[in-house]
Amino acid sequence: MSGCQHKWKMKNVEFGFVVFEKCFHCNRVRTYFTTEMVAILGDEYREADHFWHRVENAQSFRFDLQCSVCGDLESFGDLMGLLYCTGCLSDCRLEILRRELEAERIHMLMACGFLGESELKPKQVRLDKLEELTNYFNQRRDTARSRIKIVPFDLEDGFCRCKGEFLYDVDMLSQEPITARRSPF
Amino acid sequence: MTTQELIEKVGLKPLSKFENRVVEGVYISDMVSDVMAGAKSGDLWLTIQTHKSIVPAANLVDVSAIVITGGKEVPAETVELASKYDIAILSSELPTFKLVGKLYALGVGA
Amino acid sequence: MQIRTIKDALDASVIEGEALLDVVVEHVYASDLMSDVLAFGKPNSILFTGLATQQAVVSAHMAEFKGVVFVRGKKLKDGLGRFARDNHLALLSTRYDMYEACVRIDCVMRGKVLLLEPVSVAPNGTEMSLSHELCVLGNDFANAGMVSTEVKSILKKIGLNPKLVRRVAISTYEGEMNVVMHARRARVHLTVTPQLVEVAINDEGQGIPDVELAMQEGFTTATEEMRAMGFGSGMGLPNIKKNADELIIKSEVNKGTQLLMKFHIQ
Repeated sequence: MSGCQHKWKMKNVEFGFVVFEKCFHCNRVRTYFTTEMVAILGDEYREADHFWHRVENAQSFRFDLQCSVCGDLESFGDLMGLLYCTGCLSDCRLEILRRELEAERIHMLMACGFLGESELKPKQVRLDKLEELTNYFNQRRDTARSRIKIVPFDLEDGFCRCKGEFLYDVDMLSQEPITARRSPF
Repeated sequence: MTTQELIEKVGLKPLSKFENRVVEGVYISDMVSDVMAGAKSGDLWLTIQTHKSIVPAANLVDVSAIVITGGKEVPAETVELASKYDIAILSSELPTFKLVGKLYALGVGA
Repeated sequence: MQIRTIKDALDASVIEGEALLDVVVEHVYASDLMSDVLAFGKPNSILFTGLATQQAVVSAHMAEFKGVVFVRGKKLKDGLGRFARDNHLALLSTRYDMYEACVRIDCVMRGKVLLLEPVSVAPNGTEMSLSHELCVLGNDFANAGMVSTEVKSILKKIGLNPKLVRRVAISTYEGEMNVVMHARRARVHLTVTPQLVEVAINDEGQGIPDVELAMQEGFTTATEEMRAMGFGSGMGLPNIKKNADELIIKSEVNKGTQLLMKFHIQ
């Protein structure tokens, strides 16, 4: 570990899509990032025992962080997205944390890794990386006014009950004005 | 220029309860992913996106205010969330391109 | 305005439609939400968007736009230009972000004259006071000289001494060229009172590290390319000093330069 107090900049920014696919056989959801043009929603295909179809294409981006002092590069390719808590369950561990942080003017966002097909919960992004990501955002604002904290999304039951929403773009290409967002889960 | 001065000089309508801040620059995008990657603290964020996710996105990059252009209606949910976090949601009847002309003439983001 | 003018003002690359640059568009529509484009876009417009997807091009086509400019350096994936080609839509890409791109086109559309204060000019020039603001775009060689030409024309119209008009025009021209060669953009403020003509050129750009050095005749930081066009003789600032009654230069590296030129009216 270098002794550097890293000053982060976003590097290698790639815009693309986070694709959510659901198997209508077992109801599992899997997710991945692609920079390819993903055209058709509802496109179905079979893979081994699964019958996948796309339920969501969200515009998003992928990036690395590079320290402008020492040149260290931290890749965030395993970050699927940042979720914001909608306060759906007042006794949820993350909602309680959110309220505590907000009392100190700290805005909380939850970091989520990708969901593999054999998993019920999304992968975790390393805690130390989330700390650096937190630093990245705090380095770019007046922290006397407010701060950011990126915490891991680590609910035991994953997305079963969570009504948190991702910070990404959906329905940009919709030909009709958007009314409400549907959850991909 | 502060948010309050902008409201007066440009004729913007404040929709949320907010903290008056200095406007440092301007960022225009309807995609929160672009805003997360490119907007800077203190920017005035011009958009027609009214989904409530603009509030956590605005918080994340610490914009000074959000201006919804083209006279778009903003859902109550979004306004409530913004007021909760002291984020200014301002409304303009002008489409984005015309509003840029006015802002630039006032020296905003110059 | 022609799509070519937009291309020049945004220093844009052409993805599709080299043959369509002479097409005229009437409006600029800036949006990333396609439902909005379809609902409110007017025919014969050009779309400025950060959404670099084929569907954005299709939406522009449905709304009867003439072209699309992708901002923030975004480009379509290779091979997706076919739809635009088949439907005669120009596709451009600019490195500028949406605000900068809109500002540039706004400047061009207004003929670079932004009237901020009311103009009151007496025809015989006895009681006059006017104020005009214009803007210069960096790297815009195609339009270089337009602002100083406009300044000259305004001063002639109000009947100032031709020798004075010439001195102001030359000084403004040199200042304008410095912006085009070395800065991102500038606001040019012309003020005329019964006693004084003042031209202030405030730019955003690299700034001048050593003003004294820059004032030396022959010193230039112009590139080979610029010199091949005939600019960068190193006489710019010295020429202004010679022609103006007073020249004040303030500059900050990586921020910009402010030139204030004063000309006494006898």
